Parts: sequence; structure tokens; C-alpha cells
Amino acid sequence: MFVSSFPIYQDIGEFRSVSMIQLHNVFLSYQNDGAALSNVTLSISKGEFVFLTGVSGAGKSTLLKLLYGALKPTKGQVVVEGVNISKLPSSKLPFLRRKIGVVFQDFKLLPARSVLENVALTLEVLGWGKRDIDKRVYHILKQMGIEHKIKTTPLRLSGGEQQRVAMARALVNEPRIILADEPTGNLDEESKEKILSILKEANIRGSTVIVATHDRRLIESCHKRLIVLDKGRVVEDSDAS
Amino acid sequence: MPRKNAAKRPKLAREGVTGRLFFFLERAFLNIRQNVLVNLLTIGTIALAFLILSLALLIYVNLERVAECWSDRVQVNVYFEGDLSPSDLSALKSRIKAIKGTAGFDYVSREEALRRFRDRLKGQESLLEEVSAEILPSSLEIRLNRDSRDSESVARYVAQLRKVPMVTEVQYGEEWVKRFSQFMNLVRFAGLLVAGFIVVAVVFIVANTIKLTIYARKDEIELMALVGATRLFIKVPFLIEGVVQGVVGAALALLILSGVYLAFLHNADFLFSFKTMEAGFVFLSVPHLVAVLFGGAALGFIGSLASLKRFISL
Repeated sequence: MFVSSFPIYQDIGEFRSVSMIQLHNVFLSYQNDGAALSNVTLSISKGEFVFLTGVSGAGKSTLLKLLYGALKPTKGQVVVEGVNISKLPSSKLPFLRRKIGVVFQDFKLLPARSVLENVALTLEVLGWGKRDIDKRVYHILKQMGIEHKIKTTPLRLSGGEQQRVAMARALVNEPRIILADEPTGNLDEESKEKILSILKEANIRGSTVIVATHDRRLIESCHKRLIVLDKGRVVEDSDAS
Repeated sequence: MPRKNAAKRPKLAREGVTGRLFFFLERAFLNIRQNVLVNLLTIGTIALAFLILSLALLIYVNLERVAECWSDRVQVNVYFEGDLSPSDLSALKSRIKAIKGTAGFDYVSREEALRRFRDRLKGQESLLEEVSAEILPSSLEIRLNRDSRDSESVARYVAQLRKVPMVTEVQYGEEWVKRFSQFMNLVRFAGLLVAGFIVVAVVFIVANTIKLTIYARKDEIELMALVGATRLFIKVPFLIEGVVQGVVGAALALLILSGVYLAFLHNADFLFSFKTMEAGFVFLSVPHLVAVLFGGAALGFIGSLASLKRFISL
């Protein structure tokens, strides 16, 4: 078992030096429903590869949303890269998000824009110049094996290709943290393998990767740390085996 | 774990105010190109709304002009029993000139009065056979400043005038001036009321049209926020787009209005049997045109800003 019990508060300073992400007694409840997350405490170190699993509604996506600041905890502390998201003013949030690459479950690709424009968005926000953007986007799409689709719009791509575009958009600026919500859902085995190898590669390059999935076979094939959520609680936190 | 081959951040090409502004302009025009249909619909709606507004403005401007022509007829006449001596006349003129509201005056001697009388009764000269200049009074016709032509100002002016020595009999068509003032007040009030309604309707239509175009792109706004765009970065291209839509819409409205106006000038003789040239119709002046274009820009900007507020909560 890894850390299902959080170190005592005095030790946080030392703990923070290696921790990329810390959640301390986090509660989150939506207005009408019950608690989506309940007393979640965990720590993820820099450069770790973590699977987050659990049945639908267990709180996986909610936990990821907390990490990129789309939600704020009702109670408790969420610290990402030394920044306490619970107390972060909304004007500062974009600067934290630039360090986090998110692969959304529904891809969130802009249908009217080409693959190049979709992926370029991340770099435009950072203020990159057009020539540099074109080069970098082509490079990442080549890594994903879809560079020939650079001028195509997402609607003309297959599910696996769309997933890879979404992945390219999240990875193009080599973020410190990568959050992937069901990145292999509805994909064939070959596409799943490809997606997983891209994530592993990003991890080897130094990014901390958190993958929310309920795909048991994917988890078993990787031997990485596994956090299991059930009804908003961490019920298992097992180290890589 | 060490980061291998981390993406080197190139020197930013869009830094500095000019670089940023250029990027935002480029982005705004790219957005317009990528959403041509929505933009055309928005511009069309704005153009229609502004066409109604500028048409109302054109009608109002011409009504005001007609009223101004009519108000030239407001004049005060002072009658004297005999002709005035040059010294009396110059003393009188300097006293009258000093009264607030005097725009100018003409002295009408008895001879001049008779000549005018004859002109008016052309064809019936027999009626004037026994009439000589001596039985007619000489007079001073006083024109008033534009802002002194309403009934109250005229009454005040006449009261001042009566205090001047030698002035005994004053006439100024009291009833006509009163009615004219009432009519002008009514025209202005109705104009303001109609303009108020139109402005409210235009603001409502334009703001809602822009809101719909922004709503259609709420996914894009959400995504930009998720990849780390600041509020300013998201908003500026939309605001530029709003201003462009507003200005182009207003310009289109003015173009259509000028077409309609020219068509009216060419066909009014035939359709309404009056000479448009004599009627003295005018198109909107340059300040009016600039104001309409500026109104379009302002409305586009404010409409976009208000709509964005709803969608950018982060």
C-alpha cells in the first residue's frame, strides 16, 4: 500500500519537495447530489505514472477536474506543483493550467478547425509564433502517426485519430502533468496500445501522468501505481508491482 | 525523474503590445472567416436594426430642417408713424442690437412699404390709385436668433423691445408663434419617444444576436480556458469581432439608406408630385454618419462584452 494515510501536517514541507500533487482531506459535493468525493487524501510524486480507477460515478473525473481547477473542493486542500488550488484566484488559474495537459473523455476538439489549428491552440495561448507552432505541431503529430491528417477537420477522423489529436493538444507543450480521462474508451486494441505508449513516452520524458480508466486490462498490462475510488473515497492505493 | 528532450520554449513571436494586438486582430479575422455564415447573419441583423435607426434619424433631421425654415418666418415688426431721421434710426438700431436674441434687422421706409404693397396687389393696381406713401407706416423688421424663436423667448424679447424709446407699436404674429412652438415641441417629443424605442429595440436585437453567435462558440471559449488562456486572451478577439460586426453592419445600413434616399429623390417628383430639389431635403451630415458608425462599434463592443461575461466565469 502506498499513502492512503497522509503524513502528519508538520511533515508537509518535506513531503512537498517530492510531491507534484497533494490532496488533503478533500470533500466535494454537488448541489443536489451527495458527496462526489469524500475525505480523499493522497499524494502523487513528480514523474509518477498513476492509474485512477473505479466504477462509473466513483469520482474519477471529479478528481481530475479538481486537479486542473475546473472544480474547487467543498472542504480540504488541493495542492498542485506547490500551488493551493482551493485558494488560487481565478486570474492565476490559467498559468497553472499551462503546466497541465488534459485529455478529455469527449476529446473537446473544435469541429470547424483543422487538426493543426486544434493542436496549435495550446501553443498560441503560450504566445508562440506561427512558424514555431507549425514546426512543433507537425513534430508531435508525427509522433502520434497522424501528421498526414494535419489539414483535416476532426469530423473526418476516426475515433482513434480524434483521440490522438486530443492527446497531441495536451502533450504539445510537454506539460509537467498529464491528466487523461478515459483515454482508451471505445478504441480498438491497436489504438489503445498506441495511446498507452504515447503516455508512457511522455512519462519517460518527465511528465507526471494520471490516467482515469475503468479498463482493467489496460491497468494490468502496465504495472503502475493504482488508486481505486468507490463512492468518492479512496479504497485502494497500491504501488507499482 | 529528469526531463529528457523537453520542448524548448522558442522566443515568443507575439510579445509586446503591437505583437499582441496583431495576433488578436489576426485571430479575430480568422474567427470571422471560419464562421462566415454566423457573422453574415449577425452583420445582416445589425444592418437592418441600424437601417431603421438611421432612417428615423434621417426623417428627424429633415423635419428639423423644415421646422428651421418655418422658424425663419418668426420676426418682430416695429411700426413708426413717419419716416425716421438717419440719426434716430442709427440710435434705435444700436439699442435694438443690444437686446439679446437680435439676429438682424431691415428698415422699411414708407416708399419701400408702398412698393411692396404694389407688388402684392399686382393686377389690381386700380385699388392703389388713391394710396400714397404718406398713409403707410415705416417699420423695422427684426429677425431673431434661432434659439429665441419659441413663443416664450419672443414674448420676452418683445417686452425688452417695448422699453426702447420711439418703439410704440410692435407686432409679431403672437398666435402663429405660439402654435409653431407647440408644434415643434410635439415634433421633438415624438421624435425622442420614437428614437428611444428604436434605440432600445436596436440594443436588444444586436446584443441578443451577438449573444447567440458567442453561445454558438461556447465550447471554443471553454476549451481556451482549459488550455490556460487568460480572460483577456479569450475576450479580445471576440470584442474585435463584435466591433467589426457593428461597424460593418452600421456601414451597410448607411449604404442601403443612401440608396433608398437617392431612389426617393429621383422618384418623389413622379410619386408624390412635389419638387424634391425645392423641398430642400438633406442626407445625414458627416457627424451623423460618424455617430452611426461609432454607435455600431460601441454596440458591437458592449454586446460582446456583456455576452462574454456570461460564458467566461473563470
